[in-house]
Amino acid sequence: MASEQSDCAASSEANDLSSLLEDGKNAKHLKCERCGSTILRKGDAVHVKKEIFLPHMKKKSENQAPDDGETLTDFWLVKDMFTFENVGFSNTVENKKFLICADCEVGPIGCQDLADAINLYVALSRVKHE
Amino acid sequence: MPSTLISSVSEARDHVYDYVFKLIVIGDCYVGKSAVASTCCSNNNQKSRWEVYVPTIGIDFKIKTVELQGKKIKLQIWDTAGQERFHTITTSYYRGAMGIMLVYDITQEKTFENIAKWLRNIQEHANEDVEKMLLGNKCDMEDKRMISKERGETIAKENGIKFMETSAKSNINVETAFMTLAEDILKKYPQKDASSSPGSIKPGEKDPGGGSGSKGCCS
Repeated sequence: MASEQSDCAASSEANDLSSLLEDGKNAKHLKCERCGSTILRKGDAVHVKKEIFLPHMKKKSENQAPDDGETLTDFWLVKDMFTFENVGFSNTVENKKFLICADCEVGPIGCQDLADAINLYVALSRVKHE
Repeated sequence: MPSTLISSVSEARDHVYDYVFKLIVIGDCYVGKSAVASTCCSNNNQKSRWEVYVPTIGIDFKIKTVELQGKKIKLQIWDTAGQERFHTITTSYYRGAMGIMLVYDITQEKTFENIAKWLRNIQEHANEDVEKMLLGNKCDMEDKRMISKERGETIAKENGIKFMETSAKSNINVETAFMTLAEDILKKYPQKDASSSPGSIKPGEKDPGGGSGSKGCCS
């Protein structure tokens, strides 16, 4: 069931992609879907295609396993954590840190793979573009 | 001699930002440190948490951008994440910290009594020119108050640090407190342009460590 949902999200993502891009960078500010806090300013991130697994944002049920999630493919890449306008970092789990909204703490909106140098990824489908 | 204050500053790259200030929040358990850290500088009141995955892991730190005197400053805010329960706040947590928010709960006498202990802990582990500020949190709970505002003011004055009463829950003074702390750190930097007030040193506001010695370290 979960995979159907993510397929659907992925296709609408692709349709909208061109409007979000400007020279491969984000043409709009990235904001929290929930509280509107600014995460990244426009032009500060580069679009990349990469398969990354992220746990779901919303807990579907009480007994949802922590590893229940989806593999996403469209990301905004940032190389320096201080490029972020506002963001939160989770503690490290399996060599990964998850990114959350600094204000309302919703997440994960992306992640940092500590094995993957300093690259920080924000999922296109988990933020608002304004 | 090695000034962490200077070394932890990242210089502007493409004018994205001017400074990075590392701030830490400390105090007893349940005084609302995490709430204080997360309320800081937020522009909205939607504080109630979603059922999200991350809280089970815990938050390491946050980055918030503020503007002060025309400078874009990245605040990196760390919360002790429960380490204080075991009195194991280590030197590594204090390392590079340029500002410390010391928090107590105005409804819990013990948390106020422990301020002296925390101040000693800071003196032992933190950089000597670290900026400190004392926060009496939960000031929205007036009916349960155990610590008068005057007592907070007195202990702060005795230790030469600023003081504010806050409520992370009602969003009172938290943002102001962090901005004040950031301003006090910013004052330590030599002002490069004439547009902002030239390196003014406020009398009475100096920290007991006599941080003016750090001036000689730069360049």
